[in-house]
Amino acid sequence: MSIPVLTLLTAVLCAGILIGGLLAVMLDNIVSAVISAGLSSLFASVVYVVLAAPDVAMTEASIGSGLTTMIFLYAIRKTQGNNNTGKNDVAGKKQ
Amino acid sequence: MTDINITEITVIISAVLIFFSIVFGIIRLVIGPDAVDRVVAVDLLTIVTIALIALLAHQAERFIYLDVALVYGLLSFLGVLAVARYLEKGI
Repeated sequence: MSIPVLTLLTAVLCAGILIGGLLAVMLDNIVSAVISAGLSSLFASVVYVVLAAPDVAMTEASIGSGLTTMIFLYAIRKTQGNNNTGKNDVAGKKQ
Repeated sequence: MTDINITEITVIISAVLIFFSIVFGIIRLVIGPDAVDRVVAVDLLTIVTIALIALLAHQAERFIYLDVALVYGLLSFLGVLAVARYLEKGI
């Protein structure tokens, strides 16, 4: 962190974690919410690399950003049937 | 600023470019009206993040960080592929 641009990049990554979490809570489209949760995990992994923990970062990247998104999409597919690739689907709305 | 060398200049320029790429990717993720826009924004941010991890590995002089970038490249591809299969009603 000798170059101050990298410190600024770390601040942007932490803001990205916050934005990803807020979007995952506030978005109505459920696929977008899952993608935003994956983005929050992705930025958290880079912050782990900055904090000199590459093994934690590798685990976070593989489980948090890869496996969780796929399992969430699989669960949505299994529970909601045949709908919502669309624009206005709310998470708890009946068909 | 007299004894600054070409490697440091390259690191600074690439850090600035990565900074603006992350900012514009986050803007597209926030204002993207559809799920497909957000998928493409997350793919862009993943690739920019791989470059950032490589830059951090050079800056910290620890080349074990490049393994994190390798795992990243594989799994982000699988994540985007899973979302694409979901949007095609597959999975």
